[in-house]
Amino acid sequence: MTTPTQPQTPASTPPVPHGVGNPGGTPVVAPTRSKDKDGAASGSLGTFGVKSGLAQMLKGGVIMDVVNAEQARIAEEAGACAVMALERVPADIRATGGVARMSDPSMIKQIVDAVTIPVMAKVRIGHFVEAQILQAIGIDYIDESEVLTPADEEHHINKHAFKIPFVCGARNLGEALRRISEGAAFIRTKGEAGTGNVVEAVRHQRSVMSEIRKASVMSEEELYSYAKEIQAPYHLLKETARLKRLPVVNFAAGGIATPADAALMMQLGCDGVFVGSGIFHSDNPAKRARAIVQSVTHYNNPKILAEISEDLGPAMVGLTIDDNLKGGRLAGRGW
Amino acid sequence: MQQPSSDHVTIGILALQGAFAEHQVMLQKLSLKKRVIIVLVRQQEDLDKCDALIIPGGESTTIALLARLAGLLEPMREFLKTKPVWGTCAGAILLARWVENAKKGGQELLEGVSVAVARNGFGSQVESFEAPLEVDGLREPNRPFPGIFIRAPVVLALRPAPADPPIQIISRVSASLLPAGQTVVSPDEDDTDPRDPRTIVALRQGMHLLTTFHPELTKDDRFHEYFVKECVLPTLGSRSSSPA
Repeated sequence: MTTPTQPQTPASTPPVPHGVGNPGGTPVVAPTRSKDKDGAASGSLGTFGVKSGLAQMLKGGVIMDVVNAEQARIAEEAGACAVMALERVPADIRATGGVARMSDPSMIKQIVDAVTIPVMAKVRIGHFVEAQILQAIGIDYIDESEVLTPADEEHHINKHAFKIPFVCGARNLGEALRRISEGAAFIRTKGEAGTGNVVEAVRHQRSVMSEIRKASVMSEEELYSYAKEIQAPYHLLKETARLKRLPVVNFAAGGIATPADAALMMQLGCDGVFVGSGIFHSDNPAKRARAIVQSVTHYNNPKILAEISEDLGPAMVGLTIDDNLKGGRLAGRGW
Repeated sequence: MQQPSSDHVTIGILALQGAFAEHQVMLQKLSLKKRVIIVLVRQQEDLDKCDALIIPGGESTTIALLARLAGLLEPMREFLKTKPVWGTCAGAILLARWVENAKKGGQELLEGVSVAVARNGFGSQVESFEAPLEVDGLREPNRPFPGIFIRAPVVLALRPAPADPPIQIISRVSASLLPAGQTVVSPDEDDTDPRDPRTIVALRQGMHLLTTFHPELTKDDRFHEYFVKECVLPTLGSRSSSPA
């Protein structure tokens, strides 16, 4: 099988999206790509700057999984900075099994109409036609997600070919940089979705951070060799080592169920948090959602964290992650 | 922090949600005569230390909710009366007096600048764009400023009350960048029709600054320099006087 329709765009270094370390001091008047595409007058659409820029606007926020317009409204009222529209939350995908696909576009459109915050939706790994469909609907972000059943066991989507930005999951630095080189403007940990168990998200975030720390003290020769070892593009690894962080925004995802979980991931260096099943599988979704939103803002203030963690009712039932895990380990999907 | 007030200026950045770290980096890199001390504002005690405030981009609904929960809405409204505030994108929405396309049930604003804005006025993320801007009053005025517009708000109307300070327009985009189909005033042959408020992307009212785009996402520090030099420093001597 070939991937016919996607124009091949040469991989180029994404501009540093954080305003940090701008060695040249030259203004980024010209976007890195698509300068000539669809440019109305002097404007340029779908540049890497606006793709990673939206992720920067989501920082310090919580993105919540919702399955209908009513849940989307609850999430917006609770202070979500974006919602993820999907047919079944990961815990239900685990429970019911079968092939999990992109959601019905009409359901996504209802959610778009119900809220004013950005709306994201998931496509299967490698399924670039699902991505084309979501881009045509005009949502704000696509998650190429291991939570859905992969459509391609070798290739991820060429995300440079789209105007709409992508977020992708990663377990370690090599995986994160491979996704960025394919055009992802936003990275999240994979964690283990639908378990309410934060242990895998912690593992993934710790591994990304420790690999970045390692790379940041390496010589050029060592970086060349390390790039081969972790199968990452050298230029992205070098940029990461210089910045001492990923060159795009990095959220936590997969198993976050409480305000304390969210604050833990923030203290481990994440820029924000995705909460999937953790909200609408708990007893009091509105209150828990609001508490998690506050915990991401005040993640360094244990006194406030204590106040907002009070009386939230039972959290979702958590699952231990072992070989008997129903639905299996999702984090192993993606390559 | 306890320096004599003459040699430094304290600028707060509202750090509830959004791109506050980017503003911090930009301010840190400014080279000015006065030392700039930066405070990330999450509670009222942080705000009380500040001579000026920047409200960053992010989600205006999220920032407003967190501000209310942190007890910051009223203190910020008071702050606006005597000290300069700059809002970028979501921050510009919060600074406005009226908003269209608010979330269902409405959303809270600080009402510091007499303008009406529409959220997501250009459309969804697919319509987000970059465009070079001509800006009045920046250092090196002939060099265009890189405007990054992300789900940006659109200015619908300027409605200063008689007692308000006048509104000064400092940058516009070309009318051809506006979303098609809905014209507020019919544009004349001039591309940047002075009568169509929707082309306005940066403006000042008194000491307050409002931009619908994101100078903090660029490598160009001229807007941050402008805010500190033109909006903040002139107010330092006359702390107790009214805005103007």
